[in-house]
Amino acid sequence: MQQAIKRKHFGLILLAIAFFFFVISCDHGIEPLEAETSGFSGAITYVSDWPDSVQRSFLVVFQDPLVSDTNFTIFNLKFLSQEIPLGASVNNFSSLDSAYIPPDPGPFPAGTYAYIAVVQQSTPNLSLARKDWFVSGVYYANGDTTQPGAMIIPDNTFVRNINITVDFNNPPPQPPGGN
Amino acid sequence: MKSNFTKYLPSQLKYFFFLSFLIFISEEAISQNFSIEGKVVDAQSIPLPGVNVIIVNTEFGAATDKNGKYEIKKVPSGIYTIEYSALGYEKVKKENVEIKNRSITIDVVLFEAAIETEEVIVTAGKYKQKKSDLTVSSDVINGEEFENRNFSNLEDAIRFVPGVTMTDDQVSIRGSGGYGRGTGARALMAIDGLPFYTGDTGEIVWEMIPVTELERVEIVKGASSSLYGSGAIGGVINCISRDVSEKPLTIINAFYGIYDKPYYDEWDWSGERRPFNGITLSHSQQIDKFGFNIAFTRLEDQSYREDDDFKKYIGFLKAVYNFTPVSSLTFVLNTFNKNAGNFLYWKNSRNALIPPERNANDRVETDRYLFGLIYSGLVKDNLLLNVRASYYRNYFIDNETPANESASNLYRGEVQLHSTLNKNVSLTGGVEEIATTVRSNLFGDTHSFQTGIYLTSDFKFEFPLIATVGVRYDYSKLDTLDGTGDVSPKIGLNYKFLKNLVFRTAFGIGFRAPTIAEAFTSTSTGGITVKPNPEILPENNYTYEIGVNYNYLALFNLDVAVFFSKYKNLIEPVFDPSDGLVFFSNVLEAQINGLEAGITVFILPKVLDLTVNYTYMLAEDVLSGKALRYRPKNILYAGLNFNKWNFQSGIDFRYISRVEEVDDELVDLGIVVDGDLRVPTYSLDLNFGYSFISMDLPLSIYLNLKNIFNYNYVELVGNIRPIRSYSFGFNLAI
Repeated sequence: MQQAIKRKHFGLILLAIAFFFFVISCDHGIEPLEAETSGFSGAITYVSDWPDSVQRSFLVVFQDPLVSDTNFTIFNLKFLSQEIPLGASVNNFSSLDSAYIPPDPGPFPAGTYAYIAVVQQSTPNLSLARKDWFVSGVYYANGDTTQPGAMIIPDNTFVRNINITVDFNNPPPQPPGGN
Repeated sequence: MKSNFTKYLPSQLKYFFFLSFLIFISEEAISQNFSIEGKVVDAQSIPLPGVNVIIVNTEFGAATDKNGKYEIKKVPSGIYTIEYSALGYEKVKKENVEIKNRSITIDVVLFEAAIETEEVIVTAGKYKQKKSDLTVSSDVINGEEFENRNFSNLEDAIRFVPGVTMTDDQVSIRGSGGYGRGTGARALMAIDGLPFYTGDTGEIVWEMIPVTELERVEIVKGASSSLYGSGAIGGVINCISRDVSEKPLTIINAFYGIYDKPYYDEWDWSGERRPFNGITLSHSQQIDKFGFNIAFTRLEDQSYREDDDFKKYIGFLKAVYNFTPVSSLTFVLNTFNKNAGNFLYWKNSRNALIPPERNANDRVETDRYLFGLIYSGLVKDNLLLNVRASYYRNYFIDNETPANESASNLYRGEVQLHSTLNKNVSLTGGVEEIATTVRSNLFGDTHSFQTGIYLTSDFKFEFPLIATVGVRYDYSKLDTLDGTGDVSPKIGLNYKFLKNLVFRTAFGIGFRAPTIAEAFTSTSTGGITVKPNPEILPENNYTYEIGVNYNYLALFNLDVAVFFSKYKNLIEPVFDPSDGLVFFSNVLEAQINGLEAGITVFILPKVLDLTVNYTYMLAEDVLSGKALRYRPKNILYAGLNFNKWNFQSGIDFRYISRVEEVDDELVDLGIVVDGDLRVPTYSLDLNFGYSFISMDLPLSIYLNLKNIFNYNYVELVGNIRPIRSYSFGFNLAI
């Protein structure tokens, strides 16, 4: 009788092990990801209160560095987001979101982008004039806050964690050409 | 930073003269010679070959021949305890055997034991100790496993040791190591007690170890710097080579295998099943007092990944001259040549088995040599002298432009004395010196020097309690860096509550001096640029463990240990945010706590056994509270082995939980595309073997199926571990 119970237990254990391996055999671990759409995403974190003077705010991406006011052109501006809701404490963004530039959401071209920033305006209407823009936060790569960080988007790669901190009380150095 | 080695040369010469002097005086010390001889048989009066006959608390001993006969020569007068042991038989002790002006004969009968004779470990205390007498946790890989399971590389076998994990080729004992990109190791590896790490990077070169020549591999866990100094901060792995065969023995061992096709068609970059093969020729012979083991191995692997193929040639020579039964001089030579692809990481998850274009066709050529000299002999009664000297040359060059090239020389000498003061107290002490010179365009022309002195003692009480106390002082000087001194004490207790219930506890402090590579590396490869850090400091730790071992009749053996460790100034590669370059820095204060539990159930004694080992580990950065990189929380190994009718087979399963933290910078910077893909490890291997010994053929064959579910996982970001493979091999002993 006891031996029969032991055999039964042994059989159950073998069955459980066989089931376990059957389940594992269906899983093949790491699998190829679908080819990604190139692009970027990240979050803007606001660490101070919004000033009342701010009428609108955007995320902007320039291809070439803003070393002189001649770099501040519509041709160099590759991404201009929709308006960021005033008073937000965190704003998540993605190149797949609808934006002013480019007008149609889709793959964002791979390449190196030298200047990514959050800008604010106090004018009654949207203006693309340099004098009407004030930079409230800049993207820094690898924690290096001494200079604006470049965003590198490899082919077929969606780059994440392009994070920007905005402190209205402590704005970053302004690119040339402003007031 | 020109080489200063010439500064050390005079002391090396003095050292060898001292060695020669000690050899001669030890020969003089032995004078009154008698012998103990006899025959060992089993209960049916059948002679038993291979029985170990040792005189307890001495270095005298012998093994029985094929007729069951033994002879221990040149035994001084005295009263001794003689111990007879063989696997599968009850141990027999003959006490109060008096040798006084005559030789004696003792015949013994051994009876079959319900469980196997206890294992002996030489690594924990640098002398032979029963495993059940140790105060620390230890494990043993038996040499036959390399053949049965077709482990052509020691690191593949290490992956199945409880509490030990590998990240690519870097070992971690109980979470001690992460991934340092080939620089430094937090476990010390040795071959026959000769430390085995490169002078420049301080890394363990697993592929150089001649696994076919190993009797066993001992793994001691926890800080072991009190005996072994820098590097043994997480534990010690000691490879013990086979003894010279009494009769001429030639072995041919060969295997051929193929990797299956990748599970996903889009990964099938070659369109074929990639082959791998290996052959080892070895010979062992004793000629009077001189004996040797010599072996040559050639390994070739076309690899399941592109630009990851290799050809390796391993040479090994162990030559032993026995001056007397209790003194010998051993020469060890281990050579290694490799020409291999240099696969760093995948292109992306859709091209997981090929490298990025910028790393295509990367190759590396390596030449390494280890020369070792070991003298062991009784200076006088109960005083054993061990002298070890070694030279390790490491050279590699890659095909980048300009080429990364490095040559390092590591010189090491150690003089050790072991004394059994009386039956209750033994003492082990020694001094060790290590000098390194490096000429390299990665690490500069640099040098280093280390010296250490240690003393440890084991006390046996009647309770029965064994206490181990030891301390070591090391001084390290790394080129232009300031010299530093470190004290590494340890204390341990072993209490046999019952004959089959043993408690153990140990506390140790360890340290690791930074390697030349960690301080001085300056290179760029695979999109990663590394810069030197001359401010780097040694790292320290303390480890504490408490464990229990319980045997229940011949049914099972249970071992449980809880361990705690704290690391300060842990050296890890980090990114400098100011320039985006990688450098090694003392960044972490970490604690690693966990539990290790293992059980072996002898379902059918000597026929069918089941082993299950589980480790739970919590490894975290004290300051951030985040998990340490490349440390899994859960590790499970299980093995079922069957052995009967000259047939053996085994199933081995490995589960490792997904590691929480890896090198995120490599992923965020786009260097390793899709590098954040990682999963738990599920690996299942099968092996079968058959011996033709019953047909009087000294031949065994074996079949291995590895990763039979073709499961894809990584240990290191962007590096898929080997996919399913099949191999067939044979072992012919002539």
